Order: sequence, then structure tokens, then C-alpha cells
Amino acid sequence: MRLDGIPDVPVSHAMIDGEGRLVAADPALLALNEAAGGMMGAALAVPQLATVARLARRLGILVSRGVVVADGDTDLDLWVRAQPESDGVRMAVSGWREMRARPVIASPAARLIESDDLAWDTDGGLRLTFVSIDAARRLGFDALSLLGQPLTALFTLDSDGDGALPILEAVARQRPLERQQARVRGGDVRVLLTAHVRRDPSGQFAGLSGIARAEDDAPAPAAPSPIAPAFTEGLDKALRTPLARIIAHADTIHAEAEGPVQRDYADYASDIANAGRHLLGLVDDLVDLQAIERPDFALETDSIDLADVARRAAGLLSVRASNAGVAIARPLPELRMPAQGDFRRALQIMVNLVGNAVRYSPEGGVVSVTALRTGGMAEAVVADQGKGIAIEDQARIFEKFERVDPTEAGGNGLGLYIARRLARAMGGDLTVESAPGEGARFTLSLPV
Amino acid sequence: MAVGTDQAERDALATRIGAATRLAARADARLTGAIDDFFVAEDSRLDERTRVALGRMLAAVVQGVETDIRRHAARVLAGQGADRQAEQLLKGHEDVVRRLSRAGLLRDRGLMDELIAQVRCDRIAAALPSQAGAPDQPSLLVRLAEVDDGVVAGAARALMTAEARRRAAVEQGGAMSGLLPAERHHQLVWWVAASIREGRIAVSGEDAAVDRAIVEAAQRSLAAHDEGQRVEALAVRLASAIDARAHELGDLLVEALGDRRLILFVAILGRAVDLDFIGARAIVLEPEGDRLWLALRAAALDRPTIARIALALADADPRRDIDIFAEELDAIAAVPVEAARSALAPLTLHHDLRLAIDALAREAGR
Repeated sequence: MRLDGIPDVPVSHAMIDGEGRLVAADPALLALNEAAGGMMGAALAVPQLATVARLARRLGILVSRGVVVADGDTDLDLWVRAQPESDGVRMAVSGWREMRARPVIASPAARLIESDDLAWDTDGGLRLTFVSIDAARRLGFDALSLLGQPLTALFTLDSDGDGALPILEAVARQRPLERQQARVRGGDVRVLLTAHVRRDPSGQFAGLSGIARAEDDAPAPAAPSPIAPAFTEGLDKALRTPLARIIAHADTIHAEAEGPVQRDYADYASDIANAGRHLLGLVDDLVDLQAIERPDFALETDSIDLADVARRAAGLLSVRASNAGVAIARPLPELRMPAQGDFRRALQIMVNLVGNAVRYSPEGGVVSVTALRTGGMAEAVVADQGKGIAIEDQARIFEKFERVDPTEAGGNGLGLYIARRLARAMGGDLTVESAPGEGARFTLSLPV
Repeated sequence: MAVGTDQAERDALATRIGAATRLAARADARLTGAIDDFFVAEDSRLDERTRVALGRMLAAVVQGVETDIRRHAARVLAGQGADRQAEQLLKGHEDVVRRLSRAGLLRDRGLMDELIAQVRCDRIAAALPSQAGAPDQPSLLVRLAEVDDGVVAGAARALMTAEARRRAAVEQGGAMSGLLPAERHHQLVWWVAASIREGRIAVSGEDAAVDRAIVEAAQRSLAAHDEGQRVEALAVRLASAIDARAHELGDLLVEALGDRRLILFVAILGRAVDLDFIGARAIVLEPEGDRLWLALRAAALDRPTIARIALALADADPRRDIDIFAEELDAIAAVPVEAARSALAPLTLHHDLRLAIDALAREAGR
């Protein structure tokens, strides 16, 4: 079950009776509870929610906290408030959004603060409760005399190009403050403020924890420029080795190969390794992108066996598929399908297609990989039983940085773009047929 | 000639045997340490972050004292024209922390108790969930700093300043000063002074002028230490300035936690039930919380207020178990105020008497 359709529901309510049974619920909560195997009139089936409700009932006070609830293959980041009443517990659940792909960490964590940055905290009334003493001294004012003063006693806030004050948006919508231009009072030093919002257990705004960085150090993002070959080459060299090392170490920690570590740390390590792989994939794609976008891009073609390529791609992804509970049906071992192409690039395309198919397949689904001959072309077909792609999205998915569902974890929107460019550079093509709800069928065709 | 060579060989052999003997002793000590480490009870083992924070704080405090003494002693020597000794003193970088640890001096119960408690307070305070008041209402300490009562406002401002100083020092790392109570500071200053002196003697032999300069610097450090400026002392001052009435107490305690001012919470609680700061802090930091619930009952707090305090502390301190508390809450709330007060009475004895009683009990328990 997916709650994609319900992000507009700000708060969903439910009533739990004195025995912990669900007696009333809004649709979103009801759906979540049913997906977890529960029903109206029975005990709340989502363990995290049941725990909060039980605690509130036993303590007899409002209990509210953030919980992460699994919903199919994604996680929901929910904020739960449970208020005991005479005959049970009233529950309000907000924050119905899927957790984004793990690589992004938005808040300026204290440990990332560089020595020249000025750290500051406010309370819910935007009064300063902390200002770094040393950094303030360097800027020529006394941090301690500002404690308890409004934030505006420290900074003159400037509106951005559109006349808006990002800080107002941050406070009103409780979003991280990303770029608030400001000047330090009593001087001309221009700074950029970033902050994360602290919320209290009832979800109310309880203050900002932020840093101010001299503006020179943080230039505004420049207009996108075409990718220069030197850039991707540098990126490749500069990132691949350190990323590989990060992934290897994180995997070692996760596997507890060097000795036991606490469970949650082992899981963090797995997150780190996955984020690292995601980045490494992006580096590969950017390097490819730079190559295929050259006007003179061409591939040396050779005689290859497309059925062999398809079998190898299926084999490479069999572990990932079995982890996801998906089966891959691959071409029979004796099948040969001669074609003209570049072996490595054809394999890259097939790995991309099969990988996508596995990712979008429901648990227990089958991805079928076949090779056949149609007219003058050899074809490899990858079909899945996923949710399919709407007609209007079918052209879009081959564009750069386009994805069917941008909220989905994993992927960077480059794979299919690169795959099609590669297929065409070999004199072939990459096409899709699909209808919503009926899976998708990608066909790589190459000349014979 | 041949005799000389024999002698040299015998010396080398003796050195080698001596080293082997020392290594055996070290291996034995290592084994003792490993066995001790293995059998440390789970509930008294420091978690990794607390251990790291404690190590940093201990080093920062020792270095703070060390830097003070070295600099001032060097100034004294330079004033007497003893530039060479002054420079040697400044340049000396024996590892004082390691020297004092090796000597076992830093295992001092009072010192470690104080530092562990401070580290725990810092960690719990940082993890406490913020509690917003009415929209646009400033937080507790900011409001207190603005009240008309000058005594309260001044004490609140002083506490806010001291907490910001302390946090800045903790985040920046490096030397720290003014964290310890006077007695602990006194003890530490002389240990550090002795350690610096020992390092000097090892390099350049005994020197009366250097000794005098170190003593003068140590005495200066002792005179300059004002324990009244410590965060803990300022919180106690604020608590007594507020002098909360019984009916204000519950909200004030909950608000202090909501403002993430754990030290102020301790001070207010201590004042309400007549415990000194150290005693109140000890019961607030206990993960089981049994004595804290008694203290809250002794302050005549009601069931919801006790539950709010327990929930906030459990959210901030992973050692606590809110489920066990929830099971016991009814029984806790049913404890009569008078019974709670008399149960706490032994804790209200003079701090030093309590230490002596505890020491006797430890001895009897062996």
C-alpha cells in the first residue's frame, strides 16, 4: 500500500479505547493500520503507534514523538501526538511523507561547524540563547551581551531577490533555513544564515539552531554550465578512490568484520555504504554523460551475442533481486542472438534495464529477460510486473534527470538517458511499452 | 681488551633481561586491566560517548590548570631575569594528564564523581526535547532575565552567560577553567604543579628559583578560582532568588526541563526539598529514578507533573526505562508527602557527613 496520494492530508486522527482497540480513524491512518494487518475494533496494529498510545494512557499525559513506520518498501516519517481522555486516547498523526533517499542530510549539524563560523541558537520567541564567543569576538562584538536579545539584535536580515525573507518561511513552515542573507549589526560584514528548526514534542516551533558564515565563503550557486571534459575527468579521479574507500570501510563496519559494534551503528554504516554507492553510480553516469554528449561520440561495434549479454546482466542482478524477493527469468543457456554492438556498453544498458525492473517490481514479482530476432534487428526485452508508466511519462523518462517518481529513493535520472544514447550510438535503439498497472517492457534493439 | 668486550656483552645481556622482566610485569598489569574491564557491571560501564566526553573534559580541566601555572611561573622567572628557565617551563610539554593518571591521582573519587556528573548533565541537557511556550514567548531563562525583580534578573543573566561560556568551551575543545568546586580545584592545582616540577627536574635538575615560581603560580591559580561563578553555583543562586512557592514549583520544574536547563532544574528541585546541589544532582542523574520520584513527591508534585518530568528525562537519557516508570507511576503518586520527606531525610545531611557515611558503608560491604 502506498500513501503517495495523501501528502496533502496534514493531520490524521484516530481514537483508541481503554483496551488499546482502534474505535475511529481517518482514512490515512485506517489504511496504514490495515496494511499492517489491523482492523477497526481490534488492537492498533502499527507497533510504533500502539507504543505511543499505550504510554500516553499509562502516564496520563500528552505524549508526542517522531516515529518511522515502514510502508511497503518505503519508510514514513510520522509525528504522533497521543492525548489521554477519559475513555481512551485521542491520536493525531502528521508528517505523512516518505523519507527521502538517505544521502541527503539537510541540517547543519554542530559537528560540521568550521572554526570561522558563528554558531547561534534561539528559543521559540527568536531570542538568542547561544552565540559562539570566539567567533563573535573576531567579528568585533560581545556574544554574552546579546544573550536573551532578539535575533535581530545580532543580524540585520535582508530580503532575497524576490523580496522574501527566508527566515519567515522557515519559522512558519518549520523547514530548515537554507540561505538567509544578513549583515552583522554594527558592522558591514555580510553573512549567510543557515539553521535547522527545533520542534517541541507537540510539534510547535521551539527555536532555531544555526550558523552564520561570511558570505564570501559561500557564493551563490552559479548558472548551470555545460559539463567540461576536464571537470568530469577530475571528478572521476577525485571521487572514485575516496568513495570506494568509504564504501569498503562502511561495509566492513556493517558486516562487523573487524569485531562487534552496537546494532544502530552497524545500521548507520549500511546507510553510509548505500549513500556511497549512490554517489559512485552518479560519478559513473556523469563521466558517461560527458562522453556521449560530445558531437563526435561513436562506439566501435563488434560481433556480440545479445542473449549472452542478457544472461550476464540477469546474473549480475540476481542477488539484488533475491534480496527484494523478485525472480528473474533469463534466456535459456543455449540461445544465441548475434548482433553488432559494443559488448561492455550493451551490458551496461541491460544492467540498467534489469536493475530498474527489479526496483519497480512488487515482492514476489517476476522480471523476464528475453532475446529474439525481429526483422533485421536483434532485440533484448526486459519486462516487469511493476506499476507501469503512464503514456505521457514514456517519452519523459528518456530525458536527462527525469524520473517517473522523483520522490522515489535511489536513481539519479540519468540511467535511461545514457542507455538510449548508447543504444543509438551503436545503430540501435531503446524503446518502452507500458500501461499503468500492467508493468513496463523495455526493448533494446541492435543491428544484426 | 677481551675483558672489556666481555663486560659490554654482560651489560647488554643484563639490559635485555631487565627489559624482559619489566615486560612481564607490564603484561601482568595489562591482564589485570583486561579482567577488571571485562567484569565491570553493565550498568556501571560508561557508554562510549560519555567516556569520550569525560576524557576530553578531564584533559581540558588539567590542561587549563597546567597552562595557567606554566605561563605565570614563566612570567615570574622572566621578571627575575631567569629567561632560560622561563622558556624551558613554557616549552615543557610533559603529558601531565598521563603522568597524573599513571600515578593514580586522577582516580580520585571526588574529582571523577564531579566530572562524570557534569558530563552526564551536559549530555542529558543537550538531548532534552525543547518545549515551546505560548507563541512568540521567550524561553524561561530569557524571561527570568527580564523580570522587574533585579535579583532574579541578574541571577538569570549570569546563569545564561555562564552556560553559553561553558558550551562554547566544550564545543571548541582545548583548555577549560572554572569547572571544579574549590576543594577539587585546590587538590588538582598542587598535583599539576608537582607534575610540572617533576618534568623540570628530569630535564635540568632541582632549581629553587623554579620551585618558588611554580608555587607562586599555583597560589595565584588558587586565589583566582571563584567557584561562585560556576554554572552550578549560579543556578543555585537563581533558584534561591526565584524562591518558588509550592504551587509554582511543578510548572517551574517542567519549564526548566522544557528550556533544556537541567542544571537549573536540579537547583530548583534541591531548594524545594532541602537538598544541596550535589545531592540533588546525584538523584536526578540516577537512571532508575527511584529517589528522584521520592523527591518529587516530597515536593508535593502531582501525578501528571511527575509523569511529564519522567517522560522528558527518559526521552533525553537512553539509560532510563519509561515503561518501568509507567508501571510504578500509580504507586509513586500514592506516596504521602510526609513519608517521602522522611525517606529523603538522610540525603539532607551535610554533604561531607554523607560522604563519610558512604565510605564506611563501602568498607563494611567489602
